[in-house]
Amino acid sequence: MLEDFENRVLPTKNKLFRFAFRLLGSSEEAKDVVQEVLIKVWNGRENLTAIQNIEAWCMRITKNLALDRLRSRQRRATNPIEEGAEIKNETLTPHERAEIHEHMQRITEMIAALPEKQRQVIHLRDVEGYSYNEICEILELDMNQVKVNLFRARNTVREKFVKINAYGL
Amino acid sequence: MDSKQIEQLLEKYWNCETSLEQERMLREYFRGQVPENLNEVAGLFRYFESQQQKEIAGSDFDAQVKQQIRQQRPKGKVINLAFALRIAAGLVVVLVATYFVRLEVRKSYSSEVADTYSDPQLALEETKKALMMLSKGFNKAQKEAGKLKVFNEAEQKIKGTVVDSEATTEGQI
Repeated sequence: MLEDFENRVLPTKNKLFRFAFRLLGSSEEAKDVVQEVLIKVWNGRENLTAIQNIEAWCMRITKNLALDRLRSRQRRATNPIEEGAEIKNETLTPHERAEIHEHMQRITEMIAALPEKQRQVIHLRDVEGYSYNEICEILELDMNQVKVNLFRARNTVREKFVKINAYGL
Repeated sequence: MDSKQIEQLLEKYWNCETSLEQERMLREYFRGQVPENLNEVAGLFRYFESQQQKEIAGSDFDAQVKQQIRQQRPKGKVINLAFALRIAAGLVVVLVATYFVRLEVRKSYSSEVADTYSDPQLALEETKKALMMLSKGFNKAQKEAGKLKVFNEAEQKIKGTVVDSEATTEGQI
């Protein structure tokens, strides 16, 4: 049983962590949530065999626990973003690197400013590469809602890019 | 892939018409050098990719989780303990209540039940006195009851006359 857990549940930890982090904006809290999720799944291990997609199941629990936390603290997940994404490219000059960093920071803030559902959907699709069906399962939404939210999220980003290109902001 | 194809694919991407495979192709494309006008979009795809590389902190995370799992007791037992505690608390309340109620009840009976005489001789005298009082009462009642005989006698007499008169009327017929 423990072996099964180690092979099928534990390896999802980084995905769970990223998703929780996307919702909570704090890696400390996201880590707590992941621990909570894993223990919850372990306690319900008797029912695990009935679940087809364990990863989606874990993601769903993560979403619920992270949202619980968010609601109970009554604050938005737009905390100062801890780290911008780092590009591993040694050929860049310091100036270029600084520019890219700024760019990343901007995108991070753009995504963080999206409404909760849109943020969830764009994360699951564009960062993690889940299929629409899996996203439906994780978020407990129907296909239409998932697509509408993804469309709105991508569209917001696109409009921001258009503005940046137009005004050089 | 030429930039025209990319533009088309990108348009589909914005409209949410790309498949996962096509989105992977876009990601692949934007890893490399791109035309100036696609810099922003390239940044977006690089951002997505870099986000996917993020990992949970702490190399001992797995060990920590396993440790916690080992400490977890089967769920049922935890509930049973709480349940047992609740029952125990209920029992304690009932026992304490019973004790106090008994105390109260004993107090209210004690004045009637307790001995009033310490000397047996004296107690005997008092008992005799009480019994005499009772017997006097009985005697008096008996005397009064004796008066009821008058009614009996009267009844007998009436019966006697009735029988006599019946006998005379029969004789006449």
